Amino acid sequence: MRHVIKIITILVAISAIWIGLLQTAVIPNSHTWLLPIYLVVLLGCYGLLMVGVGLMRFPTCPQEAMLLQQDIIEAKEFLKQKGVDFGSD
Amino acid sequence: MGLADRAVGFLLSFISLSIFTYYTFWVIILPFVDSDHFIHQYFPPLEYAILIPVFAGVTLLFFLCVFIGMVILKSKKKKP
Repeated sequence: MRHVIKIITILVAISAIWIGLLQTAVIPNSHTWLLPIYLVVLLGCYGLLMVGVGLMRFPTCPQEAMLLQQDIIEAKEFLKQKGVDFGSD
Repeated sequence: MGLADRAVGFLLSFISLSIFTYYTFWVIILPFVDSDHFIHQYFPPLEYAILIPVFAGVTLLFFLCVFIGMVILKSKKKKP
């Protein structure tokens, strides 16, 4: 709930700034009308950038992967003896 | 495996940064440049700066709804 309220307050603040900019023509009005769409595109770009950076910095642990495979093989052997049916592999 | 991930990540960030710079240039910097500067021929007219994101958003919504609809139909088919 708190998160939603935070997001809503941020949205209200941004729209207040936008309407304020519209009323007092500090920036020419044609500019101000494009601002929300620009912000949305900026947000999408930022999300894409975070995904790309996260992908690039994702740590793979090769030793852990090997140990995990060994664990899986051991568990399969053990459970096969006990009679559990492994249909797919 | 890690290399392919890193390549995809790099591609995504590169696309994101290029879209960001091009769009920022288009919407924010270009209106302040004189209309007979040569740089204007590299950018389509300003209406497209609104049309293209809106069109992309609508397309995204469309594919999302189609995907959800297909998933719902598939799960209904399996039930009986």
